[in-house]
Amino acid sequence: MPRTRTTAALLALAMAAPLSACSVGSDSSSSSGSSKGTQEITFLTFETPNLTPQYWDAAIKRVTAKYPYIKVKRLVSPTADRTAYAKQLRASGQLPDVMIAVAPTGFAEAGDLYAWQPSELKDFLFPGAGAINGKIYQLPTNSQSIPNVYYRKSIFTAAGITAPPKTYAELLADCAKLKAKGTTPFVVGGGKDAFPTVLPLTGTVGTDVYRKTPDWMDRRRDGKVKFAEPDFVGALKKVGDLASKGYIDSKMVSLDYAATEQAFLKGKGAMYPMGSWFAASGDKSPIKNDIGVFPWPTDDGSELMPVYTGGGIDVNAHAKNLDAARKFALAFQLDQTNLDASVKSDALFPAIKGYKQPSDMGPVFTETYDLWKQAVKDQAIVKAFAWETGDDALLPGVDAKVFAATQDVILGRKSPEAAAVYLDDEWKKAS
Amino acid sequence: MAIDVRTVRSQPVSRVRPAAGRSRSRRIRAALARFGVFGAPGLLVYGCFVLAPVGLSFWYSLTNYNPFNPQTRFVGLDNYRMLFGDDEFLTSLRVTSVLTVILVIVPNLAGLGVAMLLNRKGWFYNTWRGVFFVPMVLSSVVVSIVWTRLLADDGVVNQALGWIGVSPVGWLSDPSLALYSVAGIMAWQMLGFCVVVYLAGLQSVPAELYEAASIDGAAPFARFRHVTWPLLAPALTINTVVLLISAFKAYDHIQVITNGGPGSGTTATVAFLTLQTGFIANHQGYASAMAVVMLLIVATASAVVLRLLQRREVDL
Repeated sequence: MPRTRTTAALLALAMAAPLSACSVGSDSSSSSGSSKGTQEITFLTFETPNLTPQYWDAAIKRVTAKYPYIKVKRLVSPTADRTAYAKQLRASGQLPDVMIAVAPTGFAEAGDLYAWQPSELKDFLFPGAGAINGKIYQLPTNSQSIPNVYYRKSIFTAAGITAPPKTYAELLADCAKLKAKGTTPFVVGGGKDAFPTVLPLTGTVGTDVYRKTPDWMDRRRDGKVKFAEPDFVGALKKVGDLASKGYIDSKMVSLDYAATEQAFLKGKGAMYPMGSWFAASGDKSPIKNDIGVFPWPTDDGSELMPVYTGGGIDVNAHAKNLDAARKFALAFQLDQTNLDASVKSDALFPAIKGYKQPSDMGPVFTETYDLWKQAVKDQAIVKAFAWETGDDALLPGVDAKVFAATQDVILGRKSPEAAAVYLDDEWKKAS
Repeated sequence: MAIDVRTVRSQPVSRVRPAAGRSRSRRIRAALARFGVFGAPGLLVYGCFVLAPVGLSFWYSLTNYNPFNPQTRFVGLDNYRMLFGDDEFLTSLRVTSVLTVILVIVPNLAGLGVAMLLNRKGWFYNTWRGVFFVPMVLSSVVVSIVWTRLLADDGVVNQALGWIGVSPVGWLSDPSLALYSVAGIMAWQMLGFCVVVYLAGLQSVPAELYEAASIDGAAPFARFRHVTWPLLAPALTINTVVLLISAFKAYDHIQVITNGGPGSGTTATVAFLTLQTGFIANHQGYASAMAVVMLLIVATASAVVLRLLQRREVDL
């Protein structure tokens, strides 16, 4: 009998131990933070060739120097798709307190994100950019032109091309010249990061769809237009033609983002359709003076620039230290040194009132920035397809399907018409 | 030595006296308490981290659960009906089946061959055993990154082919090749495991059996066929089941090497598609239905294979 009682006591102890361990653990963690007056927040970042761990650590340190009571635990997305990673973290109840460049769609509607107040947005140039149901959940910190066409001046000259193309017909003629010289005209990658594949399509949708119908994506969301309609199919056809004519090397679609960039810098192709952030890498490379840039050309040669504004920080509405998270986010985004660092590291165009970029920027950034400024001045701006993050964004998950469909068209697995039908089917599934 | 449970006879039941009854119930209580102490933590962990999530997944699969849309409702078997008309899911089933066939056959055969070559004594063979096992202990992400670089358009493999006049092959960019490239990488990583299991099997074969077979005039192939191969049955069972399960749940290699591409679904396994559907498109109810179907397929396939291979062991 005593033995049974002892065993039962041990059993009770064994079963209770994990419970007591949980409560002690949670108490201690909460009290340790407050007893020292520090407030810990988690910050989801992502790393690229431009945005190195050193960049993030230094930027965080500048803010925590201003707010010493804020302690930041930096998290890193395992791939460039930080939005997907944030969703995984959310599913396991670990949505970070602060997240940068995570598309707010879905999170905002579910009540996960803090809605910024107008008074908090007074320093931003486009305080309404990326609104979801009239509210701003992601700080509209910077603008990016997507895509620009970066090119190697020396390769153009060797092919007898004296100036960058102004019209789409000139672009095709230049591609023919480059191919005749044995040079692959376009470097278009994808691989595990997938997004580099979509850049030509963002260009053709901008020139052929959004230019004519600026609110096309809103209309798609309302079911008033479909992908399988002539304008969008035409945009896909242009990309397919580039591949079928050999102007895009389909073998390169296995290259991830970093490898794609290296392929261009090593001269594996003459042109590289990429977002304005490439200017940072371009300026760091030894061939910076050999890199030129032009906007994706329209059929008639008129000026047009697809642009995305947003990309800033989202704050978890349920953050344990919400006030600290908000303070950190605003301070991170408005700090002059951080903005300068973001310009230098990732070639961002800060959309902050009164901001002036550093005077010592390199030639690739300066040329890219000038194109954007001119387009803004001339009101020749359209949205950047597949990059929108507000009410006019693709439905969750459809962006991955757009990347895949573009690859299918480049690889010749699907006709533009079939790819458009596939996208409509995927849209329906995602609805 | 195994004990044949059929030979264990129960003790004759004597007339139960009250004192003996109390003693027996004490013994049962003590046994239960002991089981509770030692078994309960394990059962608790198993219940919390395996059974409960499986049950929850099954429940989700009967709903339209989307974590970003709180209006979850019961949809019955709609998700399952939709699955079998979904081209993307059917493609992922085909991809997973091809991957499974390759992954079960290639490392098994190659592992057996390598194990037979290395089934000798000496530092040379010991070193090679280590070499073959190294990929197995490496993270699959590391392996995937290394092979992605090796198989790139301008990677080492294509450069080597270039030296012998072969034009570059789109190992990972050609939709008709990408799946086989990924399967090859996974097979390469699993090879070490198969080698180790087969080596253990080979070393447990009694030398007297080979001597007896030789005396009876058996040639090397006959010795392999009639002595080695039958006695490797348990090793074959372990390898086949482990490879089968690994192939069905293939995700990390796909994510790192091809992200399901090139293009739509060329290398997207069921596991990959499930995660994409659940965590990117947010359709966790539908993704749960995929997971449940996958669970049923894996469980059935494993049970059938296990049964077939174990029957072979019993027949020895």
